[in-house]
Amino acid sequence: MSTAPANAPAPAPAAPPGARGLIDPVTLMSIRNLEMRARVVVEGFWHGLHRSPYHGFSVEFSEYREYSPGDDTRYLDWRLYARSDRYYIKKFEDETNLRCHLLVDNSRSMTYGSVGYTKSQYANTLAATLAYFLHQQGDAVGLLTFDEAIRDYLPARHRPGHLRHIMLKLERPADGTSTSLAAPLARIVRTVTKRALLVLISDLLAPLDTLEKDLTTLAACGHEIVVFHVLDPAELTFNFGPAVTFKDVESGREIYVDPAAARAGYLEKLRAHNTAVEAACKKLGVGYRLLASDQPLELALFDFLRERMTRGKLVKRRLA
Amino acid sequence: MSFLAPFFLLGALAVGLPIFLHLIRRSARDQVPFSSLLFLQPTPPRVTKRSRLEHLLLLLLRCLIICLLALGFARPFVQRATLADPAAARGAKVILLLDRSASMRRAGVWPAALARARAALAETGPGDQVAVYTFDDEVRAFLSFDEWAALPADQRGPVLSKRLDSLQPGWGATHLGHALTRAAEAFSDADRRQPNAGQHRLVLVSDLQEGARLDGLQGYDWPKGVTVRVEAVRANKPTNAGLQWLPETADAPAAGADPGLRVRVSNSANSARESFQIHWDGVAAALPQDVYVPPGQSRVVPAPKLPPNVTAERLVLTGDDDDFDNTVYVLPPQAEQVAVTYLGDEPATDPGQPLYYFQRAFQATRRRTVTVTAHSAAAPLSAAELAATRLVMVAAPLPEASVATLRDFATNGGTVCFLLRTNATAATLAALAGVPDVAVTDQAPTSYAMFGTIAFDHPLFASLADSRFNDFTKIHFWKYRRLDPAQLPGARVLAKYDNGDPAFLELARGHGRLLVLTSGWQPADSQLALSSKFVPLLYAILELAGGLHGQVTQGVTGEPIDLAGALPAGAGAAAGLVVTRPDGGTVTLAAGQTQFAGTEQPGLYSVAAPGAPLVRFAVNLAAGESRTAPLPVEELARLGVPLQAAAPAPQEQAARQRRLHDNELESQQKLWRWLTLAALVVLLLETLLAGRATLTAPVQLEGKV
Repeated sequence: MSTAPANAPAPAPAAPPGARGLIDPVTLMSIRNLEMRARVVVEGFWHGLHRSPYHGFSVEFSEYREYSPGDDTRYLDWRLYARSDRYYIKKFEDETNLRCHLLVDNSRSMTYGSVGYTKSQYANTLAATLAYFLHQQGDAVGLLTFDEAIRDYLPARHRPGHLRHIMLKLERPADGTSTSLAAPLARIVRTVTKRALLVLISDLLAPLDTLEKDLTTLAACGHEIVVFHVLDPAELTFNFGPAVTFKDVESGREIYVDPAAARAGYLEKLRAHNTAVEAACKKLGVGYRLLASDQPLELALFDFLRERMTRGKLVKRRLA
Repeated sequence: MSFLAPFFLLGALAVGLPIFLHLIRRSARDQVPFSSLLFLQPTPPRVTKRSRLEHLLLLLLRCLIICLLALGFARPFVQRATLADPAAARGAKVILLLDRSASMRRAGVWPAALARARAALAETGPGDQVAVYTFDDEVRAFLSFDEWAALPADQRGPVLSKRLDSLQPGWGATHLGHALTRAAEAFSDADRRQPNAGQHRLVLVSDLQEGARLDGLQGYDWPKGVTVRVEAVRANKPTNAGLQWLPETADAPAAGADPGLRVRVSNSANSARESFQIHWDGVAAALPQDVYVPPGQSRVVPAPKLPPNVTAERLVLTGDDDDFDNTVYVLPPQAEQVAVTYLGDEPATDPGQPLYYFQRAFQATRRRTVTVTAHSAAAPLSAAELAATRLVMVAAPLPEASVATLRDFATNGGTVCFLLRTNATAATLAALAGVPDVAVTDQAPTSYAMFGTIAFDHPLFASLADSRFNDFTKIHFWKYRRLDPAQLPGARVLAKYDNGDPAFLELARGHGRLLVLTSGWQPADSQLALSSKFVPLLYAILELAGGLHGQVTQGVTGEPIDLAGALPAGAGAAAGLVVTRPDGGTVTLAAGQTQFAGTEQPGLYSVAAPGAPLVRFAVNLAAGESRTAPLPVEELARLGVPLQAAAPAPQEQAARQRRLHDNELESQQKLWRWLTLAALVVLLLETLLAGRATLTAPVQLEGKV
């Protein structure tokens, strides 16, 4: 777009001081290849290897645990029973370090963008970055894109070519209508039985009550959840010019709004919405990060790793 | 410039709408896509300042469209003088139809009708053609178009007025339907003789009474261009009751059960009174009789009783406002006296003889009394004894003198019925038939004989020809006399026995006839007297002989009356009937004519014919004339009469003329078409400009993508 319209939002504030030396998102988005963008971001983050804190039934033995009714009898150590006349369950160290599912919102509201690219492009790049990073670590990565229904689903795997599939799915343009977390989360609950890491990337522009209910359902399954709340800078500041007719890209509804008069009310409602979402996440133990789509993606990656490390220590302490 | 519908100009005020929309649309035109309106509230549209109006040309075009449409709907036209109506310049044909039925005799009606007629004639222009017709149950030309044209233009009014003065209402019934259709046909006839395209105005001056006959109007195809104007006149007082005589019908009861004279009193629907009286005119001894009749209804009541040996012929009703229909003329019923002579020697009380049954066959009724005179066959018979009789029954041999008398009787039109009871009567039969000798032999069939062949086409048996009555097989004949019909030259066999022998013969004798029955009807000979066919057969013989004739009791004014049934056969054939009217005047009908059409006035008429008794009959008003309640004019419209609307007030008429004039000018100029076309052109231009402005306007799809 060569020239901005008269009612285009004012430029977003500059990147935070801590982000100096990072890759400018506008520059990053100029790279057409999604995998290339991810590779550029992940460059230099190989030190973040971590060990899976979860126990699974694998080849490498971890410890014994006394049998209790309801345990699978396949894992009874009969030799130990012969020796001690007691039932013990063998526990093994999980061979796979991490099973991560990326939940990416591709609804119509994600097609909005005022900084030269859309929220959907930003979210897809973030998802690709995480997928690439985890894949390089040897973790299994799955993908689920959704709008009002599920668009694409790839189970969490770590095998050659899987990352390429994920990149291809993420490159599909967003064409959904509305945002609905109910269907994708129900699908995750139904298919992902093992505890896994779920990363939800969405603008969360949906009524708060349904959003909280969906996250509660997911957290109840024992999954670790991280939410990246992606918003456009124009949505965060609402710096529009004269009065115009605003058209909802999802529903097509049009209303006449004077931004100067409506800005205060809009920001107040948005702030309340974001605060409520963050509070709900905190209550459910869900990691929450609000991202403006003009922020460098490395910050998101930093936050993700910090969250992972913090959570890993907590688990180890709990296990010890 | 003027406008036919100026109030449509108010529609031009709608130009404020596009101006207002232009003021508020400027800001709302740009559209910005946004991710979600979840947190946004609509801002009420604000009107920008007038100085910031955009697209002034478009605004002007839109305002111009509205103004042009408003102007077009207002139907503008330019005032200028128009030519005079060519139809009016040609002159109109005007027929004045004047009711002169009996109901116009009510108080105040006839003068008002004449005044209306004169006023209608005064409205005619010098170029108009005028005809005047009067009607009751007939339509008469009072002044034809030709007569009007023949009169000098300045003399038409006075002459017609003078002739109208001499006109008086008649006594006829009102047949309005016939009068209107005849007047319409008169227009057509006049157009055929002198065609023009002028107006055809029919002015009806009548009291429009409820009893007027309207048949003929339903479905009548009125000539094009005829308009009917009704000038209804009303009586001064509404109450009117009428009186009608109800003469006895043919099935009247037998003599001795005299029900008396009955009349019907009918009260018109708009009457103000309900109680009336009827009394005999000129009979003071007869008490008046009160009659109660509600408005719109009628009652049948017996006439007041007359004192013994007093006769009266005029019954009068009192108690209403108009007396034109209050008198009814009645004739007391008179029994017809019929004389029949029986020539025989047997006692009348012997049931084994024919006379016994013959006398009992004719029962007296209120209409007729048949007197059977038994005369000894041996006694000499004079012509004077047969003067009053039309039928002679012969059942015994007669002396020569009596035979000669009977021959003369038959030759002069009498009927002789001969019963061939014995062989001894053969000589008398031969003498009556005028032949030298007749050979007769007694026949006694082994079982019995029956009628085998019957000439049902003959008047004697015509009444029994119907399949319900033509069964004669139950009449058995034990004995009869065989007679060769060839012995009676000219005889016609009316019935034969089943073996072919003649049973009933007819032989013409001069003006009369001789009937021969070859058997007796007494039980010794046959079962004829005891059968149901006996009495009808005797009455048929009596009617064939001319002994029976009907009665004419009452006629209706204006309707012809047939006198043939009331007079003896042949009466008036040689010389014309002379009818005496109630006013004393006489009318002589042509020879052989029995239809009398001069029943113009109510009253008692008498008919005199040479050699026949005086016959009287009454003529009364038609019953419908007494129903004088006003007939709604809408009834005429319902029947398809092209009524002209009531004449409006002068100011209203002038305004209407002006409106018609404006309408005509506007329909000639049709400026609204040009205005509509101009509006369409401007609309097209506006569409093009608006489309162009839309194409050139910057479009923002989504942010700064």
